[in-house]
Amino acid sequence: MSVESPFIISIPQESLSLLQQKLRLVTFPDELDDAGWEYGAPLTDIRRLVTRWSNGYDWRYHEAQLNMELPQFTRDIDVGGHGMLNVHYVHKKSDAEYAIPLLFVHGWPGSFFEARKLVPLLTRGSPDHPSFHVVAISLPGFGFSEAPRKKGFNLDQYAEVCNKLMLSLGYNEYVTQGGDWGFIITRRMAHLYGPKYVKAWHTNFPGGTPPSLLTQPLSFLTVLFHFLFPSLNPQMQAGFDKTQKFIQSGSGYNAIQGTKPQTLGYSMADSPVGLLAWIYEKLVGWTDGYAWDDDEVLTWISIYWFSRAGPTAAARIYYEVGGGNALNLGKLMGTPEYTASIPHGISRFPGEVAILPKSWAKSNRKIVFDREHERGGHFAAYERPVDVCGDLREMFGRGGPAFGVVKGRDGYNSE
Amino acid sequence: MSTENAFQISVPDDSLSLLRQKLALVSLPDELEDAGWEYGVPLADIRRLVDRWANGYDWRHHEALLNAELPQFTRDIPVDGHGTLNIHYIHKKSDTKTAIPLLFVHGWPGSFFEARKLVPLLTQNSEHHPSFHVVAISLPGYGFSKAPSKKRFDMDQYAEVCNKLMLALGYDEYVTQGGDWGFLITRKIAHLYGPRHSKAWHTNFPGGQPPSLFTQPLDFLSMLINGLTAKEKEGLQRVQHFIATGCGYSAEQGTKPQTLGYSLADSPVGLLAWIYEKLVAWTDQYPWKDDEVLTWVSIYWFSRAGPAAAGRIYFEVGEGEPAKQMARFSAHESTSIPLGISRFPGEIVCFPKSWSKNLGKIVFDREHDGGGHFAAYEKPEALSGDLRDMFGQGGPAFGVVKGRNGYD
Repeated sequence: MSVESPFIISIPQESLSLLQQKLRLVTFPDELDDAGWEYGAPLTDIRRLVTRWSNGYDWRYHEAQLNMELPQFTRDIDVGGHGMLNVHYVHKKSDAEYAIPLLFVHGWPGSFFEARKLVPLLTRGSPDHPSFHVVAISLPGFGFSEAPRKKGFNLDQYAEVCNKLMLSLGYNEYVTQGGDWGFIITRRMAHLYGPKYVKAWHTNFPGGTPPSLLTQPLSFLTVLFHFLFPSLNPQMQAGFDKTQKFIQSGSGYNAIQGTKPQTLGYSMADSPVGLLAWIYEKLVGWTDGYAWDDDEVLTWISIYWFSRAGPTAAARIYYEVGGGNALNLGKLMGTPEYTASIPHGISRFPGEVAILPKSWAKSNRKIVFDREHERGGHFAAYERPVDVCGDLREMFGRGGPAFGVVKGRDGYNSE
Repeated sequence: MSTENAFQISVPDDSLSLLRQKLALVSLPDELEDAGWEYGVPLADIRRLVDRWANGYDWRHHEALLNAELPQFTRDIPVDGHGTLNIHYIHKKSDTKTAIPLLFVHGWPGSFFEARKLVPLLTQNSEHHPSFHVVAISLPGYGFSKAPSKKRFDMDQYAEVCNKLMLALGYDEYVTQGGDWGFLITRKIAHLYGPRHSKAWHTNFPGGQPPSLFTQPLDFLSMLINGLTAKEKEGLQRVQHFIATGCGYSAEQGTKPQTLGYSLADSPVGLLAWIYEKLVAWTDQYPWKDDEVLTWVSIYWFSRAGPAAAGRIYFEVGEGEPAKQMARFSAHESTSIPLGISRFPGEIVCFPKSWSKNLGKIVFDREHDGGGHFAAYEKPEALSGDLRDMFGQGGPAFGVVKGRNGYD
């Protein structure tokens, strides 16, 4: 049985010092006139962030804040074929006696940090809404978890780590929330571990599979009709346009990380400004007008820079899950993996990178909750924590479609 | 009229010192057990190269050798809509006064350096084969040329710079040799400036399209009836493999070259790995020496515009969409001048021969047994042999340049 150790983020002074030395030697590229965001992250933004990072940004302050807000732990988890991995996680319990255990699974370039604002909301006790014990895992290779050492750490392994973590915390039954890789991993968990362990799953990254004439004839015909008369449903067309633009001009990171993460990794590990730009481009590109504070960005990225396994390890998930083939990753999103043994909830945010028709999510899922929001993007838990929390409370609360899924833990105190 | 200045590579001491300082602080990533080349460049290779770069590799020595071997110049070239760009190039004349003017156009991650071994062979005098006056341009954004400062510097502009350079050197008529981006650029040169200025073009990176019923009915039918040869199938499988697993660099450079550029400009090891991966993957077991690799990469590191500028060509040509980039490679462009092709088995994109037919007026097409993408560098004798055969007495492109047939 694995043993839990409390964890405090405490980056060695040497690491802080090395970062500063590298920043002092920073060399910036040129930039085309009026480039704006067309070619990638603009030079003025990056210069400003680097200046702040070397002068004024106080990692120790933010480290202390995180340690105060988020109770963290590590424990060894044995993963079949991969040995023991020491896994880092946030575990904040609610005051409510029978709070619902919820596992939050981040993606790339996310981390446990994404759950920062969601945690206090979800764990808050109240007679008016359910509350949750929140576990926010750092996936292997991310945050302060060890990275896999062997090849082939694939979806089943990520799902296994997550499930074992929850079981080791005494949560024999639990629910999940995830976006980005968190969606793909929690979908696998629903498939493998539902309904025995996973009782319900919620996502803000719905994905979906194009309907076929045989399985979903009405949806299929709707889509066909739309392609014939696109102007009749501008909203659906706008979604397709956005998705197509993402695939055509926004997925370069996906192609390189999915095929040569080691080659890219030399830059990410060696250059703070390189890592900063690589991630910052997504923090801005994938959010919906979120007003990033420079220090907020720097903390988000510092977690990658100071991560236990280094910044290179995180991107390998793209390679492992895609099998090293850039063409597979897109298909992965649409895999209609069977999860209909447990209820599924969806929150849709307009700034998400891929917007597909609602009916496309139906394949093999038991959707009990599906809400569209007016604002927010890919990092929903971070950008719109109140909305995500509100949706989870509604889905799992009294009168909600997934009320009481976890035996003996309905999210409230005893009557 | 632009004036020429003699040029010597002379990287400032400051730059050498900064490189050393960065290498002294290098942070290397972890690596999976038994990763080999699967995930990208192996850590052992990079460690070794970085150690050498920091300790023992002597840039000044290689810089001096390059200056001694390759006469270099710069001159201002005006480009419509883009102002004046100061362009760096090698210009080595043969002793044969009526040598054929040849423009060598590199690609990515190439440079003028790729022509290093070809230059002495092509400029060599002999009564048995033609010789050439060789111009190896550093494309804008590469080597010691300035980079464009405005958006949309596309094929037409690259072709314009190349053509204007040759005209400025007094070569009203010339021939070209190119691979990688050099193929697309010299094809554009042939399209825009042939036969008035460009008289013939040769490539080691032929693009092409599958034959259709309309463009090449006999080949199309043959393909349907006979299928492809085993060799052709293998070539297409390699293309498939390249697209599936080897095009990440192109996807990123073709969509967010600026984002990537921060890494390449700031991290010598990042740049080294990024380029070295291709130097190994795209060559046919070429026995790279560490110092050779480091000189190749140092040219990028010390380049006039910095290493980020070079990748932008991918963005401009594809208008920010990699699929469009690929389409440009395959798209047909009409050319009327003689075309020569040299095929090397290690090339990353090997289409069946019949797919090249509509590239142009093919007068020379030879297959080789060894060699890869950087043919001029890996197989300079083979490539110069092909050029000599194509342009020499009795050859299919003999005498294309008025008054300069390559012989005394």
